[in-house]
Amino acid sequence: MSTTVHASARSGSGARGPASPVRWLRRNAVVLVGCAALAYLLVPNLVVLLFSFNKPAGRFNYAWRTFSTDAWTDPCGVADMCGSLGLSLQIAVLATLIATAFGTFAAFALARYRFRGKSTTNALIFLPMAMPEVVMGASLGTLFLNTRVQFGFVTILIAHVMFCLSFVVVAVKARVMSMDPRLEEAARDLYAGPFQTFWRVTLPLAAPGIAAGAMLSFALSFDDFIITQFNAGPSTVTFPMFVWGAAQRGVPVQVNVIGSAMFVLALAIVLGGQLAANRRKKS
Amino acid sequence: MTAVAPLSSSGPAPSGAAPGGEQDPDAAVTDSGGGRARRGLTPYWLLLPAGLWLAVFFVAPLFYQASTSVQSGSLEEGFRVTWQFSNYTDALGTYGTHFVRSFGYAAVATALCLLIGYPLAYMIAVRAGRWRNLLLVLVIAPFFTSFLIRTLAWKTILSDGGPVVSVLSSLHILDVTSWLGLTGGERVLATPLAVVCGLTYNFLPFMILPLYSSLERIDTSLLEAARDLYAKPATTFRKVTFPLSLPGVVAGTLLTFIPASGDYINAQLLGSPNEQMVGNAIQKQFLNVLDYPTAAAMSFILMALILIMVSVYMRKAGTEELV
Amino acid sequence: MTITLSGIAKTFGDFTAVHPLDLTVPEGSFFALLGASGCGKTTTLRMIAGLEEPTSGSILLGEDDITRLPPHKRPVNTVFQNYALFPHLDVTENIAFGLRRRGVKSVSKQVAEMLDLVQLGDMARRKPRQLSGGQQQRVALARALINRPQVLLLDEPLGALDLKLRRQMQLELKRIQTEVGITFVHVTHDQEEAMTMADSVAVMYGGRVEQLGPPAELYENPRSTFVANFLGTSNLIEAEVLSPGTAGPEQLRVQVVGADATLRLPAARCAVDGVGAGTKVLVGVRPEKISLAHTDDADSVPRGVPEDHNRLTGRITDASYLGVSWQYVVESPAGTQLTVYEQNVSRDSRLTPGAHVVLHWQPAHTFALDAAQDAAAGEEAV
Repeated sequence: MSTTVHASARSGSGARGPASPVRWLRRNAVVLVGCAALAYLLVPNLVVLLFSFNKPAGRFNYAWRTFSTDAWTDPCGVADMCGSLGLSLQIAVLATLIATAFGTFAAFALARYRFRGKSTTNALIFLPMAMPEVVMGASLGTLFLNTRVQFGFVTILIAHVMFCLSFVVVAVKARVMSMDPRLEEAARDLYAGPFQTFWRVTLPLAAPGIAAGAMLSFALSFDDFIITQFNAGPSTVTFPMFVWGAAQRGVPVQVNVIGSAMFVLALAIVLGGQLAANRRKKS
Repeated sequence: MTAVAPLSSSGPAPSGAAPGGEQDPDAAVTDSGGGRARRGLTPYWLLLPAGLWLAVFFVAPLFYQASTSVQSGSLEEGFRVTWQFSNYTDALGTYGTHFVRSFGYAAVATALCLLIGYPLAYMIAVRAGRWRNLLLVLVIAPFFTSFLIRTLAWKTILSDGGPVVSVLSSLHILDVTSWLGLTGGERVLATPLAVVCGLTYNFLPFMILPLYSSLERIDTSLLEAARDLYAKPATTFRKVTFPLSLPGVVAGTLLTFIPASGDYINAQLLGSPNEQMVGNAIQKQFLNVLDYPTAAAMSFILMALILIMVSVYMRKAGTEELV
Repeated sequence: MTITLSGIAKTFGDFTAVHPLDLTVPEGSFFALLGASGCGKTTTLRMIAGLEEPTSGSILLGEDDITRLPPHKRPVNTVFQNYALFPHLDVTENIAFGLRRRGVKSVSKQVAEMLDLVQLGDMARRKPRQLSGGQQQRVALARALINRPQVLLLDEPLGALDLKLRRQMQLELKRIQTEVGITFVHVTHDQEEAMTMADSVAVMYGGRVEQLGPPAELYENPRSTFVANFLGTSNLIEAEVLSPGTAGPEQLRVQVVGADATLRLPAARCAVDGVGAGTKVLVGVRPEKISLAHTDDADSVPRGVPEDHNRLTGRITDASYLGVSWQYVVESPAGTQLTVYEQNVSRDSRLTPGAHVVLHWQPAHTFALDAAQDAAAGEEAV
């Protein structure tokens, strides 16, 4: 008799008795369910891509009629859509810059110093992430209403920075806390003054955390709808708000074109980056 | 202010910590460079912009909202604080079912996310090997398309007479869901099922990512130790893997449940007026009816209920160091 | 450059890491601070580097007082524990870091020289994480040495390396030190490392320097139980001094407590001040200095015990084979377990557990310590 090995979850070890379909299924159930979950996540994106080539009969692009590249050749052919896209980009870039800067400062304070009021500050940072958007959106809207602030670009920007801040702080703080304090000591030991130490060592080391916080901010801001809806003015229609409005009146195919283009572009960048990193690792 | 002391080596051990090299406790870095007084204020200066921003645009609005929630009046005459607590009872009376529906849908969607997300997270963390990074990219890839557009895609997928509905119908699944009150007739769109399906879809990545990061951190030698100690795969999972992934489960369920219970987009786009959630009610009162006191009262009730549920849950789960 | 620490001390809150300390490190020497975790050796080193500000006292480098100088203004460089190489810079940029901070424009020639010195010429463009532990160690060394510091500080530089590599690097560090000729201050908890490399060693314990001297001196003539136990192994036997002078002016005679035996030792090797009759001492002898003879032929020739040797009787309780030697544990009426190393040359096959034996050694190899100390201090410290 061979040595008893307590059934492992490892797959593909054919030496372990005859391969029965039931056994195979048991061993790979996780993978099957996982792939199904992945399909669930990705099918809508594929539908969006597919329907960007549709030529719908009416105003709504929900049923397939005939193949067409009309929308792709004229992406800005719909009134106001590209303008809203520009507005969203503008707000996302500004909100990312402000939130990343302020959030990084706060993260350094929380990661590097002991001070009175630290736990309160931590709670203040955590709370926006544990609050439904509709509550934050409505309450900030109430503030602007009560103080008679004109809703528009600035109010949207304020709102976006507000909810992005926490995410930046969390991302940067985690990074700074995991940094070896000896590295900065080494810099000081090697003739770097306080400013040079920060610029040459601390900042480059914290950069991945800062970049992660910035990317998260950009994505959150660009795609935010709920909080924006409560704090936008009549003439400031961001891209998600445009889509929302379109969903009531009729969705142009160009919306799918924008959605698909962003999807394909981002995927290409990420996968390209991965490939390049892999190649660099090998060489 | 004198309580300020810079601390440079608290928290987890530095990443490059000693393989075999012994760490002196006296190596503990407690910097005490010059200029102590000036240094004492540094953290406050660093916190000032973010803290001020959050105080003015996050905390203060909550107080404004609290005050608005007890106002009475009308848009024409203006609203005044009259300690009108009936706003709360009225809101609960009128929109009680909305609250129940919100938390019900959010709970079901969270459970589904856990059920669907766990195998995927486990597959990526344990079984994916060199495909791991690619799979992670695929999990976040949906984010690259605006979530409103993706939610609209479900209208196509679940459309009446479409392939999904036909298959569900011919397998008599629709009969079952219809009997459960989740669907009606030969439709999926404009039913609770569609809304829950949309919620689950929208928040699934928020479940998968924390699950993945806690599963990925598990030392595989622990699983080998469990097997060595005669645990069957199922037992290993139940006694070792799952308990160790609990922080991810807690974080994931919170990240799913909280936004799902306040969501109104899925109910609006995929549901009918019968599936309206509390978010829809707040949005309508605030943006269409312009009845700010009622909107504020509802929003306050929602916030309070969620905070209570979250704190009870976190105490039960025993993991309070999440963020 | 000579380093002079005078009255230097460091406290963290209620905890005193380093008690006021005076220490002079002569120019060009390889100086080791040796001690267990928490003994204050690293804090002392960090004060010299400027990474820790002393609570009191002063540090002189040559004639200059550098006590209040920030680290980047001190002509002193450090090889950190676990190296602290900058992960975002490659080997060349790591090594060039200090030169660049001081505004040196063309660094390539010096970097190339340094890479040669530490034999890493072909690794110049690697990132630290692509290097092995030993290679990282060399980069850390080169990064410090390129600045031509007056003093090089090494904080457990070999702690993260495996045994074989550590041996190799010990010799290499020693070679480099001889080559560049600057003062090295080396912190370590490894007594063997300190003894192999250093010209002089300061043994630290509880924030104080226990003993200072060349390695052989510390080993042969420890002045405290901590040093006796921390550097190698010592057998410590409780005894009382018999009236001085009975064995000549240079010799002391002591009576072993609990056994009918007297031992002799040179008076100079007694670390107790003002001994008189009845003073309690701990008599020490290193295990490899002791010879064993089976009781049956203790008084025969040629295996017998030389007349002038110190002798104790006992029974072997354990014998283990160590390759180069045998290690015996002998239970003696002196109430202590004595350890004996016997060269693995011609072993008496009767020396097995249970055998009654006579332990004997030259009086000159005997030392005596103050009995008021903890006899086990430093035993478990490594």
